[in-house]
Amino acid sequence: MITLAHYLFLSGIIFSIGLVGVVTSRNVLKVLLSLELLLAASNLSFVAFSKFNGDYAGQLIVFFVILVAAVEVAIGLAIIVLMYRRLSTIQADELKEMKW
Amino acid sequence: MSPVFFYIFAAILIGASLNVVLSRRNPLYNVLSLVIAVFALACLFVLLEAFFVGMILLLVYAGAVLVFFIFVVMCLNLKAEEVQKTQQKHMRWLGTTAGILFAVSFYFACQSFIKATAMGASTIRGTVETIGKVLFTDYVLPFELTSFLLLIAIFGIVSLAQGVLSTGKNEAGL
Repeated sequence: MITLAHYLFLSGIIFSIGLVGVVTSRNVLKVLLSLELLLAASNLSFVAFSKFNGDYAGQLIVFFVILVAAVEVAIGLAIIVLMYRRLSTIQADELKEMKW
Repeated sequence: MSPVFFYIFAAILIGASLNVVLSRRNPLYNVLSLVIAVFALACLFVLLEAFFVGMILLLVYAGAVLVFFIFVVMCLNLKAEEVQKTQQKHMRWLGTTAGILFAVSFYFACQSFIKATAMGASTIRGTVETIGKVLFTDYVLPFELTSFLLLIAIFGIVSLAQGVLSTGKNEAGL
């Protein structure tokens, strides 16, 4: 029997993997991909809570999170393309214009 | 809800997510791993009887967002990530430690929470009909506001891309 705890632990594992990716990646594209993992983990726990609480609100929040994530990715990728045109790299370490 | 399917899809999800973070080949492989992870996640949603959200996840993520990612990766023509040994090493250890610490604290938080509330699965089914009913009655204002969000995103992207298109160089300020 699969309980709520199984889903929460799975979501925690995915969130930890994504967190490691966000902190350790120097490649901006990989940071965005890891952010998607974080969103996926929270979506999973929302849907699991929705199922085990008998409330549709969790699934609706996931719907809105997916919409906002699509917007975030579109803006993020536009910024990455601009960064590549300006610096010819997408390594986050190269963004040091405010360093003196 | 079959336990076997849960474990199969959970294993696929964890393996694909590890590949997203750890793969150091061409960034295309990271993106394709994320496609697999999204598929496994959608399967888990279906196991939880959230059919509508699972389908939206497949359509929007695997269909639109990740194709956009692949498009940008191919457009930029990136090479495999070169490993900078000196700069990255301590950061990677720090990040991994933070991740493990988070996982452990999450485990304990979950355990105390599970003890406090032992819940059984309810019988709700997130079909188009049930989700649509709630979405267009109780949540109609947030739903309409997301259209403004998408509109603002379109304005933002067009204004970011405009300088690139007209002069070949970015004048938007980034």
